[in-house]
Amino acid sequence: MSGWRKGIPGGMLAAGVLSTACAGHQQSALDSAGTQADRIESLWWFFLAVLSAVFVIVIATLLVSLTRGHRGVNQEPLERTHVPSEETERNLGRTVGVATGVTIIILFVLLVASIGTGKELSEIGGKQNSLIVEVTGNQWWWNIRYLSEEPSEILTTANEIHIPVGRPVMIRGLSQDVIHSFWVPNLHGKRDLIPSRVTTEWIEADHPGRWRGQCAEFCGLQHAHMALWVVAETEPQFEAWRHAQLQPAAAPQDADTQRGQQVFLNSACVLCHTIRGTSAAGSVAPDLTHVGSRLTIAAGTLPNTKGNIAGWIADPQRIKPGNHMAVVPVKSEDLQPLADYLESLK
Amino acid sequence: MRGWTAILCFLALTACQREQRNLRPSPARVVIFNDAAREDQIQPGGAQSMPQVNNPDEGNAYDVSEGQRLFDWYNCSGCHAHGGGGIGPPLIKTEWIYGGEPANLFDTIVKGRPNGMPAWGGRIPEYQVWQLVTFIRSMNHEEPKAATPARPDTIEQSPQTLQNKANGVTR
Amino acid sequence: MKRILAFCAATLGLAGISGAQIQNQPDDGQWPMAAKNYANTRYSTLTQINSGNAGNLQLKFTFSTGMTHGHEAAPLVVNNTMYIVTPYPDVLYALDLTKPGAPLKWSYQPRPSPSSQGVACCDVVNRGAAYYDGRIYYNLLDVETVAVDASTGKEVWRTKLGDINKGESITMAPIVAKGRVIVGNSGGEFGVRGWLAGLDAATGKIVWRAYGTGPDQDVLIGANFKPFYAEDRGKDLGMASWPRDAWKTGGATAWGWVSYDPDLDLIYYGTGNPGPWNPDQRPGDNKWTSTVFARRPETGEAIWAYQTNPHDLHDYDDINENVLLDLTIGGRVRKALAHADRNGRMYIMDRTTGEVLSAEPFAYVNSTLGVDLKTGHLTVNPSKVTGFQTVRDICPAPPGGKDWQPMAFSPQTGYLYIPHNNLCFEEQGTQANYIAGTPYVGMNVRMYAGPGGNRGFFTAWDPVHAKAVWRIPEMFPVWSGAVATAGGLVFYGTMDGWFKAVDAHSGNILWKFKLGSGTVGQPISYKGPDGKQYIAILCGVGGWSGAVVSGGLNPVDGTGALGFLNAMTDLGKYTTKGGMLYVFGLP
Repeated sequence: MSGWRKGIPGGMLAAGVLSTACAGHQQSALDSAGTQADRIESLWWFFLAVLSAVFVIVIATLLVSLTRGHRGVNQEPLERTHVPSEETERNLGRTVGVATGVTIIILFVLLVASIGTGKELSEIGGKQNSLIVEVTGNQWWWNIRYLSEEPSEILTTANEIHIPVGRPVMIRGLSQDVIHSFWVPNLHGKRDLIPSRVTTEWIEADHPGRWRGQCAEFCGLQHAHMALWVVAETEPQFEAWRHAQLQPAAAPQDADTQRGQQVFLNSACVLCHTIRGTSAAGSVAPDLTHVGSRLTIAAGTLPNTKGNIAGWIADPQRIKPGNHMAVVPVKSEDLQPLADYLESLK
Repeated sequence: MRGWTAILCFLALTACQREQRNLRPSPARVVIFNDAAREDQIQPGGAQSMPQVNNPDEGNAYDVSEGQRLFDWYNCSGCHAHGGGGIGPPLIKTEWIYGGEPANLFDTIVKGRPNGMPAWGGRIPEYQVWQLVTFIRSMNHEEPKAATPARPDTIEQSPQTLQNKANGVTR
Repeated sequence: MKRILAFCAATLGLAGISGAQIQNQPDDGQWPMAAKNYANTRYSTLTQINSGNAGNLQLKFTFSTGMTHGHEAAPLVVNNTMYIVTPYPDVLYALDLTKPGAPLKWSYQPRPSPSSQGVACCDVVNRGAAYYDGRIYYNLLDVETVAVDASTGKEVWRTKLGDINKGESITMAPIVAKGRVIVGNSGGEFGVRGWLAGLDAATGKIVWRAYGTGPDQDVLIGANFKPFYAEDRGKDLGMASWPRDAWKTGGATAWGWVSYDPDLDLIYYGTGNPGPWNPDQRPGDNKWTSTVFARRPETGEAIWAYQTNPHDLHDYDDINENVLLDLTIGGRVRKALAHADRNGRMYIMDRTTGEVLSAEPFAYVNSTLGVDLKTGHLTVNPSKVTGFQTVRDICPAPPGGKDWQPMAFSPQTGYLYIPHNNLCFEEQGTQANYIAGTPYVGMNVRMYAGPGGNRGFFTAWDPVHAKAVWRIPEMFPVWSGAVATAGGLVFYGTMDGWFKAVDAHSGNILWKFKLGSGTVGQPISYKGPDGKQYIAILCGVGGWSGAVVSGGLNPVDGTGALGFLNAMTDLGKYTTKGGMLYVFGLP
């Protein structure tokens, strides 16, 4: 028992070391990739330092008091009728008073640091040349819409946000059904998405990279499989991506993908999905106009490969039980062309 | 004693079919339905024993709520509103043009009806048609009360609006 | 707002009506098109029935159409024959007025596809036909136009114009101008792409088709397009003012009235609401939805346009009639048009240029704050902006201050006679899902009576001073058209079945008659073969407002009939289904 207790400081240390070892991870608040996350990370480290120091001091004091000889305070027998001497009372009172004072000061410092960081975070953003990205939480995927003054520049995609490095991006959060929470730890803290309300936060990446985000508010059966990716790239890369995404879907070039398109248009797919450039314009499921260009399918659940696309269509309820993708009866000979077609939508 | 009660309650709950979520329909339920339901009581040569078509989702709360979601997703509510009707006839009613039994509703959705009801066969998978049928039946309290949602999903009338309406004030 | 009001008052204070010349064909006692004339005045110069003897009006004959949906059509009277178009299945009846009791001469059964009933948003109505050069032209619900020989009832040609599988239908009454049958589609609640087409009257061939959305080339916008306001100028606005490809399902149908000015050689019409209703799904101005257009009838070329409701938030279609009047405003005669918009404002516009001269509310309005006459910009009340959130107490409701029900103009009094609504609503935006051939709305709506508690008004409006002269409150929305006569009378009908004759000056009700069913039709006045004046109207309650009765809806769900059901739950206590022609005359 005492060995386990003694293990705590060691464990803390190990955890600290491990978390620094997390550097380079794609979903970690301790590998900040932008101004906002940087502030949060600094605060985290500051808290860790202060609280570790407190922890160490408390444990050390405890150990010292358990093991040292009795100096300074007169040894008095511990009897029922025992009344501490006035000197002992004074000493004890002073010690407790000082400890309480120091605790209050530390808590106050933490409070100031926390509020200060919050205030700083709220002041970042709103700068010129910013980008507005509307993120709508759905059970269990993310609809992404890039807003623009020019309506025809508005761009809709899903489960993947591309941002240019060094440009502030406002996340405009909405929800279609229940409360979700948008959390890309490498870029910012959590922000709840609430039905019929708009919440906002600003993110800004300071270097190119790919980071994973996750719904951080329990939202039903597949909450755990509601992820998204943020891809930060250079301005020219971002503009090229944006331009490509604005184009309608490429027409199928060969007989195989042409057949795949026919299968798509003649089945249940069109009841929910959009592929711009075809007659499919459903809007209750992810826009598939450029689905082939994305990193993952099923909201970060599977890497975007042809095999996974086919597997997902054939049996979505095996991969993500309870999700809202219908089990569509696709003939086995149609599955391959359909997956080929979707994969071709780069 | 208390422990036993708790265990019994737990067992009772887990046994409840209402709570069952058939998230992964068997292939047989995804195939398009072909059986013909009778819509008329007059059957020449005397009443026949009808092919028994059971609604597989009967009494299941999860299927009712999935049906409710799909009712909006597939735009059923666009024509039938939330049961009151509009472009299409109401669905909260006692007299059905083409029969109100689950098999008739299934037929209506899959085959369509000549006066404007679209034929959804080949688009909506069979298991979802049954979910819709179950939801429509629940609108008419033909599903167990325990499986029926207590209140509708649509806009609530605010007390203020009701008062405004009564006073004819609309500011 | 005050400044705008002051400006209007100053401008209009100087104005006086110049005997209000009307663009009119010579009145020979016939009624050749639904709106009576190209100017859409619905004014009859017949005087036999007048304010002195209107109390003696009596029933002369009736005719049952055998149908029970909303009868919104105007009967036509040409060459001693009366033509009646019924709601779906769009039968055309010809009655012989020369014989006692006006017996059936022939009937024409076009048999449109029954499935088309599933894409008619607001009952399977038809708003009437047009007579031109020995033929009757009218539209069928399944997106067809037919020409029928007026004397024999034989079909001359039949043209398919669209696809019900995309949600298209036609309910409007065509006009024939310069040898073109002008036809527009319905389906704004189905995410269709709206259009107005010009068909060759002789052959039925489609000569031109002007889409309501998309690139300029499709909208028939060319070098001669000169909108008055900067907001309506720019390249390919029908595409640029929408999110990518949203214009393809963006509405802008032309399901209302078309008027024609032969002198300027321009046709005028308005386009419908954008799709879907939920505005958050279509950021931008959404051109050319809710827009008044002026076009050349022969080629369809657009000359000017004015978008009354940019980025429409409340289903304020712009399809209401444009009544062509010449008004003296600011000391000079303006070739004007009067347009009572769904947004509750009476737009008086210069019909040569598209300039707005005034836009004062004729119904209770809180959804918009005013129109800046310098920029043409409509200011929306920020607290009534709809979208995914819930908003309550918005006036007027989606059927507007006034819907399609056409007003009349009397040059005798200089007043417009407006049958209209007094409705407000609450809404909740939802995600509209586009599935071709099904509704594309995305808004749960509940309507109810506006201030005062009555759901309708019949209002006499002075277009020069931009104010109401008198109002008759009605229990239900006044969903019938109006007709004004030189006898100093105005006629209209109510949804609870009363057909009324009103003194055009005072608004006193001089005579009324209870019809078999509520009426949503268009009254007409004509001179019979016996030289006597008659007044005719179709009854048969229905349409969007009357669907609770004609469609047998269940009032427990207020969101039924796109929310109109909530305001009409008691209609069934006052009227039942029907379909009957009534003709009245003096003893």
